[in-house]
Amino acid sequence: MVTELPKTDVVIVGSGWTGLAAAYELANAGQRCVVLERGGWRHSTTSFGAPEEHDELKYARQKEHMIDTPIKTLSFRNDGSQTALPMRRLGSFLPGKGLGGAGIHWNGQLWRPLPSDLNMASHYSERYGQGILDGLSVQDWGVDYDELEPHLNFFEKICGTAGIAGNVEGEAAEGGNPFEGRRSEPYPNPPMKSSPPQDIFRRTAEQMGYNPFHMPSANVTRAYENPYGAQLHPCVYCGFCERFGCGYLAKADPIICIYDVLKDHENFELRTGAHVLRVEKSADGQTATGVTYVDEDGRELFQPADTVCLNAYALWNVHLMLVSGLGTPYDPQSGEGTVGRNYSYQTMAAASVFFEKDVWSNPFMGAGAMGMTIDDFNGDNFDHADLGFVGGGYISANQTNGRPINYQPTPPDTPSWGREWKQAVRENYLHHIGIVVHGSSVSVPQNYLDLDPTYVDDYGQPLLRMTFDFPENDRRMSSYVLSKAEEIARNMDHVRAVSTSNQAAEGESYSVVPYQTTHNVGGAVIGTDPSTSVVNRFGQMWDHHNVFVFGACLFPQNLGYNPTGPLMGLAYWTLDHMKSDYLENPRPLMDA
Amino acid sequence: MTQFSRRAILKQMGAVGLASAVPQTLAAQNPYAELDGVPWFFLSDTEARFLSAFCDVLIPEDEFPSATQAGVIDFIDLQLATGYGQGAGLYMKGPFRRGTLSQGYQAEMVPAALIRNFIAAAIEQGGDLAAADAEQREGVVSALSETEDSFGGAQGRVVFEELWALTKEGYFGDPLYGGNRDYAGWEMVGFPGAHAYYLEFVDKNVPYRAPPKGIGHIPGTNRSASLGASAMMKKEG
Repeated sequence: MVTELPKTDVVIVGSGWTGLAAAYELANAGQRCVVLERGGWRHSTTSFGAPEEHDELKYARQKEHMIDTPIKTLSFRNDGSQTALPMRRLGSFLPGKGLGGAGIHWNGQLWRPLPSDLNMASHYSERYGQGILDGLSVQDWGVDYDELEPHLNFFEKICGTAGIAGNVEGEAAEGGNPFEGRRSEPYPNPPMKSSPPQDIFRRTAEQMGYNPFHMPSANVTRAYENPYGAQLHPCVYCGFCERFGCGYLAKADPIICIYDVLKDHENFELRTGAHVLRVEKSADGQTATGVTYVDEDGRELFQPADTVCLNAYALWNVHLMLVSGLGTPYDPQSGEGTVGRNYSYQTMAAASVFFEKDVWSNPFMGAGAMGMTIDDFNGDNFDHADLGFVGGGYISANQTNGRPINYQPTPPDTPSWGREWKQAVRENYLHHIGIVVHGSSVSVPQNYLDLDPTYVDDYGQPLLRMTFDFPENDRRMSSYVLSKAEEIARNMDHVRAVSTSNQAAEGESYSVVPYQTTHNVGGAVIGTDPSTSVVNRFGQMWDHHNVFVFGACLFPQNLGYNPTGPLMGLAYWTLDHMKSDYLENPRPLMDA
Repeated sequence: MTQFSRRAILKQMGAVGLASAVPQTLAAQNPYAELDGVPWFFLSDTEARFLSAFCDVLIPEDEFPSATQAGVIDFIDLQLATGYGQGAGLYMKGPFRRGTLSQGYQAEMVPAALIRNFIAAAIEQGGDLAAADAEQREGVVSALSETEDSFGGAQGRVVFEELWALTKEGYFGDPLYGGNRDYAGWEMVGFPGAHAYYLEFVDKNVPYRAPPKGIGHIPGTNRSASLGASAMMKKEG
């Protein structure tokens, strides 16, 4: 028995960064918005305060802020010949739950895409010839950098982003990233501090001819009011960022930056404990009529709406499309269909640097986006002619999350437990830093998302099934960029030892067990061709014009950066077109 | 300092009935005897003795406490009795199959049962670990850490990883959970704990000397300084 509720203008599935941004912009454009959130209500001021929040066991290990796998998980296999088994416990990536979504437990590393990231296929084809993309499903986003720039810029201001601009209206600036695209304004706040090991990294990188700069950070560096009127405080470098909420109100999050200045709006309604089962379609299948969800008391409710916005985590947006019959599922045999196509991830590696005793890294001090970074081997900032791969990554000496359960640096050849291990942990904990290689991930025909034939979630719906392994392209890329990181590490002063690790090392299968990064992308990608994209370049579904899709599921392949900046640029781009064009005259904004 | 002892934890957790049954003192007959006769939430005495021997191979005593001395067995006992051990955060719908290593946990039982079965199987095959000498103990633990053989429901190395993760959580987690007794783990590495404000320190190349303090706001002693975890700390202290 499904109860039909009064109709609303817009129903928004999910209350993370994109969902609350959509609600803010659309509510203020006169649209009555109902936001449905699977998890509970919470607030940065009362839910994430220190010292209780600084509980590594509860939040970082037992993952209190993350999705509950008994209710919602997916199945996984490395390739189509295997039987997918459920990801029974969280590991490689950590989708969020509750108000604010994964935007609560992020690090705050806030990047823009490179201009060439957005037209990756045409850029590489023009520079190197078509052959360089053989075997890959790499494609253009259909939106170019100049179109996204105002929206990327706006979100940087929403977050009070800290950094040094490298390129304001074409003027190169000292200390900024010389590779970044033209920006209309500098960052709103000065960069974060740097630690002694980061200063050593910076000096060495400069000596080697590279261009180090402070990672752009949504851990803000001074008292700040954003364009919505929300207030942020300066970061205290407490070291509890990733996997934690920020009770200091110093890490920009969707609650502080948007919800607080939206919650009393007459056009806004948030319903927590609302698990959306499916998007309902009209009799002719051309449009969506609303969504059906289960509330906290187990009742099924139908929320009719003129417009449906999908703002769940990247993977769950794709799941919702598949269980709702939105669009056409991708078939890896025929190559037909688009929903679930072009799933990709992020390719992570690191060089581990062990210092002499007179260099104090004090790794428990830090912030999620406290990084000293070079972009010389990211995107197409370096010549790929003879390398045998496309893409790249940034190399960053990060001082982020040095808490002792997860962080026990030991030099090469240390046993993994026992007396020598214990001695090595004790000697190195305060004198170590990781240099991360945060690399791109190309899409390939054999990596995709669909529905599992066997396993179901708590609501009886089939689990999403992920078929993924690192493409050879990315293994080569990661190995190459890691070798550059290792070279910097070995050239640094006061270094006793260096070791490396590579999640995409040759011969190693991608595993859902060790944490890598919560940057799952693709599966419902943006583009200009309905045979290779789920939504048009405005984020509107080709097959159902009143369904708009948000988030990293739109990325046709993953760039070398963290996804929040690019996906929020896309979100504000989509919202701009909804407000200025679509809502007054609902229709397909592009011809299929 | 005894505020994080097993008894204190029992009381904190509201298990007054259990706690009041604890004998006041027990003569220590061997390194594990102090565990005898103390009511556990989940473990049997035999299991506790096994885990104590097992975890002390992983983190043995030196200038800093062993796993058992730091309360790791109390920690594991509590974890097995509560959320983690009972399957919180674990999808438990079937069918169950032995997967690839990259597919992660696929055991048909919750971690508490898995670990119980593992201990029983390990004792059945290898005898009483607590009674073995140091070299034998290391050999047994090392073998268990590598074996693909099933030990009570999953590959030995899979259960080993569960126990190793628990041991580190118990040694380095907040003392609220019964481990890291007297901040043993935090003192050892120099981690100051939950009260964290480093704006004035983060860019300085100096040791940070504040003694550890957990969520409960009980100051530690900064023993690591006097034990030479860092010579510079001592010199400047």
